[in-house]
Amino acid sequence: MDDVHSRISQLAPPEGYIQVDSKVHGVIVYAPQPDSNNTDQAKSYACPNCGANIAYDVAEGGIACEYCGYVAPVKGTQVGKGADEFEFTLETLSQSTRGWGTQRQVLQCASCGAQLSIPHGVLTATCPFCASNQVNVTSSPEESLRPRFLVPFKISKQQTRQISKEWLGKGWYHPNELAASTFMQRLTGVYLPFWTFDTQVNADWRAEVGYEKTTRHYNSSTKSWETRTKIVWRWETGQIHQNIDDFLVIGSHPNHISHRILNQLLPFQMNGLVAYQPEYLAGLQAMAYETTLTQAWESAKRAIREGAKKACYQDIPTSHVRNFSMTADFADETWRYILLPVYLATYRFEEKVYQMMVNGQTGKIAGQKPVAWWKIWLAIGGMLSPGLILGLIGLPMLLLAGSGVIVAGLGILLFILGIVLSIILYNKARQSEAK
Amino acid sequence: MAEQLPQTEIIKESQSLWQTGRQPAGCNHCRRTFLILPFFIGKTCPLCRMGQIESQPIRLRPAEPEKLLPFAIDPSQLQAIYTNFISGVWIKPEDFNLAKLLRKTTPIFWPLWLVDSDIKGRWQMEAGFDYKVESSKEVYVSGQWRSIQKIEPRIRWEPRLGEIESHVDNVAVPALEEHQNRQKMTGAYPTEKSQNFDPQFLGDALFEVPDLPPESAWPLAKPIVDRSAGVICQKAAGAQHNRNFALKAQYQNLNWTQFYLPMYATTYKDDDGQPQILIVNGQTGKITGPRLASRKRGLKIAVTIAAVAGGFFILAILGLLLSMLIPVAAPVAGVLGFFGLLIGLAAIVPAVWPGQWNRKQDGPRITTRGQD
Repeated sequence: MDDVHSRISQLAPPEGYIQVDSKVHGVIVYAPQPDSNNTDQAKSYACPNCGANIAYDVAEGGIACEYCGYVAPVKGTQVGKGADEFEFTLETLSQSTRGWGTQRQVLQCASCGAQLSIPHGVLTATCPFCASNQVNVTSSPEESLRPRFLVPFKISKQQTRQISKEWLGKGWYHPNELAASTFMQRLTGVYLPFWTFDTQVNADWRAEVGYEKTTRHYNSSTKSWETRTKIVWRWETGQIHQNIDDFLVIGSHPNHISHRILNQLLPFQMNGLVAYQPEYLAGLQAMAYETTLTQAWESAKRAIREGAKKACYQDIPTSHVRNFSMTADFADETWRYILLPVYLATYRFEEKVYQMMVNGQTGKIAGQKPVAWWKIWLAIGGMLSPGLILGLIGLPMLLLAGSGVIVAGLGILLFILGIVLSIILYNKARQSEAK
Repeated sequence: MAEQLPQTEIIKESQSLWQTGRQPAGCNHCRRTFLILPFFIGKTCPLCRMGQIESQPIRLRPAEPEKLLPFAIDPSQLQAIYTNFISGVWIKPEDFNLAKLLRKTTPIFWPLWLVDSDIKGRWQMEAGFDYKVESSKEVYVSGQWRSIQKIEPRIRWEPRLGEIESHVDNVAVPALEEHQNRQKMTGAYPTEKSQNFDPQFLGDALFEVPDLPPESAWPLAKPIVDRSAGVICQKAAGAQHNRNFALKAQYQNLNWTQFYLPMYATTYKDDDGQPQILIVNGQTGKITGPRLASRKRGLKIAVTIAAVAGGFFILAILGLLLSMLIPVAAPVAGVLGFFGLLIGLAAIVPAVWPGQWNRKQDGPRITTRGQD
């Protein structure tokens, strides 16, 4: 049998299969060939016509050359919500494919530390998070999992300029020059990393539930019938079932990208998910995840269990609950690592850094906007002054002539109203600048 | 069929095989054939109990068996096994007793074929790989969340195919037509305890002769050989499970040898005088066979009880008549009538129970084969 292996190994593997290690002598084993999309073969994007750099073009929905007009559609498959999901196997991380499958590098911003995946050959770039031009090339993080699916950009850069111009022009308390600024030119398409989680949650709760019971009794001291309400407590149990579908967790660190702003861009339409093809990333930036799968899942679990707890409380027919306990049993947990399209612009205004984001799929916009504080203080002054003036008139009248109660009272009322409105305006203005 | 199968030979009744002094014989009723020691000639067939064992030529491969599983249960252990078996029946046939079962016990070796084969061909299967997933249970008590980690085993099924050029050894395949039924009756054997054939393990035991020669057994053997090949391919793929295994192969250098398993056969007669065969696994002691109750004895008991009830009724009637003269006799008559009724009702139980019990005895039985 010594030459058996060599003899039968000369046979060609069937189409779509490759030979894999056999643990028994005399037996040849073929396994399905891994999806070619998952290989780590590097790709470079040069125009086959003119040799210029080509990039993904949103309007064309494919790779396009801006010099000679060459267009090649991306052979991506729309998978939508049916995109493969992965279980939490104990060997998930070690088994997961590493790398990006194309010639890209991870650059680390020396200013804010954000990690960016950028096309090969680009050694410097403007960091979209802090607008810094100083970046250093570093190696890819060791635990990088390959993104298997992404939602391609549907909004073109041209459209984002219009959207952001309108958005920047909105609001009276922002600097007038903001609407006329060219910050929107800096919007950069970035694929941001997200984790999605699916799970079934079966929760059992147990609590003492209080039911209000109204009784009437005769009070002999007051010689009248009185109504008394007391709470009758009894132990109750219940069950709820929740089907969690595509629970999103941001894969970037909050120091690098504002989760508050990013959350305002939600939702993304998961029906638009396509199988990952490096062509989608050509000429664009893509950010590697910084929150690991375990960290993201822990964060998702915290939110999901709180949601289950809320649902359990809603299951209870009254608002009187004590000694509440519950068990949330998670089943069929799966995850996906996906990239979602976002346009980012980080701009400096009066030495302060502001972030603006546009949902690359839906065009929804959110971000920080500088505030012209002199307008805010003027408005606050305007809101407080009527009350203050009436108070100043009414108070001497009250002290000297014993009249003017109405004027002073109205003044105080307007002053309080002014304070409330001022606080609201102040908070709104601060939120506009908040990260 | 490309496979070359060994042919059986006619062994004359005068021949002695395997240097054990055993000679060919057969039952003149059920046509089962045996290799027996000469003293067994003229005795009742242990597997049908309806015919006699007579010297006759048989078809057999004369080669000595390759392996044999010796008896591990001795007659003293049989006593306990039978006692336990009998004790479950309330109204037994007269013949269904320990002494008779022991007396009629016959040790028998029954056959399997052991097949060795070279296999060359193409295979495909769904290979199952064990893996574990982490799941969670979140517990909320006294305002605090606590996470409990759960590890759940799963199987991942993946297609695999390939080529095999290998050899399977000692694949046990049926050698009797009634193999499946016999296996159901005896249950599993610890085949890892099997020994190379050695006359010292035989005692007085009969050898039941295969009635499925290799040429007839091959269609049954092939799927079993394929399953063994499936296990080899599964190992080659590094999988822990396989399903939907398919093999297109050539089987060469087939080698058929005999393998014998031990059992005891005993019998008792039911109400109708029909023999009921019981089988005991000679290794594990598992006993199987119809455990019938006696309807006739049940009816006899019922009639006896009914007669007693009738006596009470007569006394009750007499008491009633007497009460016309002595009124105090009336309640006594009532009590007697009540007891008569109770005893009469009790008579139904032995009349009905054996039939009900026997209906449940529908397990596997030794096939009764009559003369052609």
